[in-house]
Amino acid sequence: MSGKLALRNVRRSFRDYAVYFVTLAFGVCLFYVFSALDDQSVIRLLAQNDNPSVEGIFMLMGVFSAFVAVVLAGLILYANRFLMKRRKRELGTYALLGMPTGQVSRILVEETLLIGLAALVSGIALGILGSWCLDRLTVAMFLATPGEVFAFHLSWKAAGKTAIYFGVIFLLVMVFTGVSVSRARLIDLIRSGRTNEEVARRSLGASAALFVLGCLCLGGAYTLLLTRGLLRIDPIWFGMLGLGTLGSFLIFRSLSGFLLRLTKGHPGYYKGLNMFVLRQWSGKVHTNCASNTVISILLLLAIGVTACSVGLNDTITATVSNQTPYDLTVLNYGRAGEYEETDVVALLRRTGFDTGENFAAARSVTVYYNDETVTGFSQAGFYAAVPLSSYNRLMEDRGLSTLTEEELPCRTPEAIVNGPAADGVVVVSDEAAARLRPRRQMVNITYRGQAQQVDEALRAALEEAEDFTGGLDIMLNHKLDNYYDLMGTKILVLYMGLYLGLVFLLTAAAVLALQQLSQASDNARRYQLLSKLGASEAMRRRALVSQVALAFLLPLALGVIHAVVGMQAANEVIRVMGKVNSAHSSLLTALFLLLIYGGYFLCTCLGAWRAVREER
Amino acid sequence: MEPILTVEELTKTYGGRGNHTAALRGLSFSVEPGEFVGIMGPSGSGKTTLLNCVSTIDVPSAGRITIDGVPLDRLKGKALARFRRERLGFIFQDCNLLDTLTGLENIALALTIGGAEPKMVERRAREAARLLGVEEVLGKFPYQMSGGQQQRVAAARAMVTRPALVLADEPTGALDSKSAGQLLEQLEELNRTAEATILMVTHDAFAASWCRRILFLRDGKLYRELSRADEDRQSFFREILAVVSRLGGEAEE
Repeated sequence: MSGKLALRNVRRSFRDYAVYFVTLAFGVCLFYVFSALDDQSVIRLLAQNDNPSVEGIFMLMGVFSAFVAVVLAGLILYANRFLMKRRKRELGTYALLGMPTGQVSRILVEETLLIGLAALVSGIALGILGSWCLDRLTVAMFLATPGEVFAFHLSWKAAGKTAIYFGVIFLLVMVFTGVSVSRARLIDLIRSGRTNEEVARRSLGASAALFVLGCLCLGGAYTLLLTRGLLRIDPIWFGMLGLGTLGSFLIFRSLSGFLLRLTKGHPGYYKGLNMFVLRQWSGKVHTNCASNTVISILLLLAIGVTACSVGLNDTITATVSNQTPYDLTVLNYGRAGEYEETDVVALLRRTGFDTGENFAAARSVTVYYNDETVTGFSQAGFYAAVPLSSYNRLMEDRGLSTLTEEELPCRTPEAIVNGPAADGVVVVSDEAAARLRPRRQMVNITYRGQAQQVDEALRAALEEAEDFTGGLDIMLNHKLDNYYDLMGTKILVLYMGLYLGLVFLLTAAAVLALQQLSQASDNARRYQLLSKLGASEAMRRRALVSQVALAFLLPLALGVIHAVVGMQAANEVIRVMGKVNSAHSSLLTALFLLLIYGGYFLCTCLGAWRAVREER
Repeated sequence: MEPILTVEELTKTYGGRGNHTAALRGLSFSVEPGEFVGIMGPSGSGKTTLLNCVSTIDVPSAGRITIDGVPLDRLKGKALARFRRERLGFIFQDCNLLDTLTGLENIALALTIGGAEPKMVERRAREAARLLGVEEVLGKFPYQMSGGQQQRVAAARAMVTRPALVLADEPTGALDSKSAGQLLEQLEELNRTAEATILMVTHDAFAASWCRRILFLRDGKLYRELSRADEDRQSFFREILAVVSRLGGEAEE
C-alpha cells in the first residue's frame, strides 16, 4: 500500500520534486561524463602514443571524482532536507490518521528510492549523450583530422562507478530521511506551517559595526593572500581562509539590517512593492547567511578554477608552440660523448627514407659549451652557447627578427630547436664562439606534406634499418610528439578546471534555487494577499523576479570580488610558466557563469512564479 | 444621495450540469454612503458568496452589482485590479498581515501598491494607525502583536486608501470578546467621524450590534432587515438575538 502511495505522491508533487530531480540527474550526468573520460577517443589516442600525462589524467580524475561525490552528496542531502520541510504537514496528516511512524518513513524512503532510480537512469542516459558531445568537441578541438580517430564507446565501467557512488549517496539520504521522520514530533509536523520566522532587529550602529568588521576581516584575508601568494600552505594560510570566511559571514549577517536601515529613510522605500521585496529578501538573507557564505565561497572556487584553467591552458599553448618551431629536430650527441658533426639528412636517406620527397628544408646548427668567463652567463642556468651567425640564419629561415652584435650576449629570444634543448642557450658573437668547445649538433627539419604521415614513414624506415646512426648518439624530437604531450596537459588542465568549476557552480546555483523554491508556499500566501490588495499581476511578477534576483546576485557579487582578488594571486603562479592573458579567460568564465547561473536563475524565477500563481 | 452599493437580483449558482447549488437567489439591496451595514445569516445562507461577488473576487451568475456608480460586470483585468485597490478596502477574518513587514509597513503597503506619492505614504499610514489606535505597535511585526492589534492594523490598512466601501469578512471571528469590542468600537467611530461606508459580514450578534442596519440572509434571499435608529446597543443586540433565534428555528424545520 505504501508503495502505491509513494508512487502517487511522486507523480502528484512532481513539480516539488522537479528541482531536486534535475539537480540529481545533472549531478549523475556530470559524474558519468567524467568517469567515462578514459574511453574518450582523444584520450585513447593519447594512451596509444604512450603519453605520460594520460596516467596523470586518470589518477587526478579518480581523486576529483571522490571529492566531487562528497560535494554532490552534501548537495543532495541539503535538497532532501528542503523537500522534507515542505512536506511536513502532509506527513503530519498521515501520522494523525494513525499511520505508524515506521510506515511514514517507509513511504518517504520509497519515494526517495523512486526519485533516485529515475534520476540515476536519466542522468546516465544524459551522461552518455554528454559524453558523446564532449568526445566530438575534444576531437574537433585538438585534432586536425577527426574522422579516423572518432569512435564512440559506451563506458560500462563509468556507468557502474556512477551507480555505485550514487547508490551509496541515495542510501545515505534514505537513512537520513527515515531517522529524521521517526524522530519528529507530531505537533511539530502539524504546526510547521505556522511558525513565524524571527526577524532579529539590531540597531544601525551594531549592524554597521558588524559590517565594517566583516570588511576588515576580508581586507585582512585579501592582503595576506596578495602579499604571501597562493601556494604557501602553512598555519597562516588556513588563518587567511578562516578570516575570509568569517568576513563573508559577518557581511551577510549584517547586510540585511544595514541596508534596510539605510534605505528606510529613502522615499523609494515606499514605492510600489519595493518595501515588500526588500523585507522578503532581508529576512531570508539573515537566516541564510551561513549558506550564503558557503555559496559565495563555492562561486569563488567555480570562477577561480575555471578562469585559472582557461588561463593556464592559454599559457601552455603559447609556451609550447613557441618551443616547437620545427617539424623535427635531430640531436646529434656525437660519439662516446665527443662532438662529431655529420650529415644527418644523408644518414636518414641511407635507411631508404625519401628525404628529397619528404623534407622541405634542413638546417644544421652547432651549439658550444657555455663558459662563464667567455659568455658572462652562468653555467648553472645556460648549458650552451650559439654563435650569432647561426642564430640569425635560423631566424631568417623562419622570417623572425634577427639580433645584432650590440645586443650580445643574451638569452635566445626565440627557440632555436624543438623541445627542452631550446632552453638555456645564450647567443654570443662568432668570435666568442670560436673560443668555446663545440658541444652538440642539432638539425632542424621542416616537412613537405602531412606531418603525421611523414613521421610515420620516417619511424618505419628507422625501425627497419639496423643502427642507422653508425655509432653516433642520435635523438629525434618530433613536433607532433610535443603536440601530443601538450594536448595531454591541455586536456588535463581544461577538463579538471571545467569539471570542478561546473560542479561548484552547479552546487551553488542549485542551493540557491532550492532555497527560493522551498519558500514557494510561504510566498504563495503573501502574493495572494498582494493580489487581494489590488497589486496587478505585472507588479507581483516584478516583485518576485527582483526577490529571486537579489537572492542570486548578492552571493555572486561577493563571490566575484573574492574571485577577482584570488585570480590576482593565481595569475602570479601561472606567470611563472609564461604569459597570462586574463581578458580571454575572464571572458570565457563570464560566459560559462552566465550560462549555468543564469539558467538556474531563470528556472527558479519560472518555478517560483508558477508556485505563486497556482495557489489561488 | 446616490447609493454607494447597489445589488440587483443577484444570483449565484455553483456546480455544473445536473448538480446545482444555488448560493444566492435574486438578492437585492443597496447601501447609502456613510452607512455601517451588517450581513447576518446561518451557515450556507450566502453571506460569503455575496461578499466575494461584491469584492470582485467572484463573478455572479445573474444580476448586477454597482459600486460608486460603476457596474462591476464592465470591469476586466487591469481595470478590475485598479478598481479593487482604489475603491475597496478589505478586512479579513484571519487578519492577513504580511509576516515580513512591520505594522506601519503593512498599512503603507496598501498605499504603495496604489502608487501613492512615496513622501506621503508614511504620514498617511500613521494617520490611519492613529484613527484605529494602533500607533504603539507600528514598529512591531505581526507575530509580536496581539490578535486584536493585528486586526486593527488590518483595519487601518483597509481604511488608509480612503476607499468608497470597506468590506469586512467576520473581522471579529478570531478575536476574544474584549479585542472584538475594541475593534468594533473603532470601526463604529470611523464610520461616524470619517464617514467610511462599511459592509460587515458576521454571524456574531454581539458584533452585529455595532452596525446601523442589519440584513438577514437565508437560503440566498433577503429574510429581514433591521435598523438601529436611535436605540442603544443593548436593546438592538436583544432585537438581533430575537431575529437570529427565529431564523435558526425556522431553518431547522
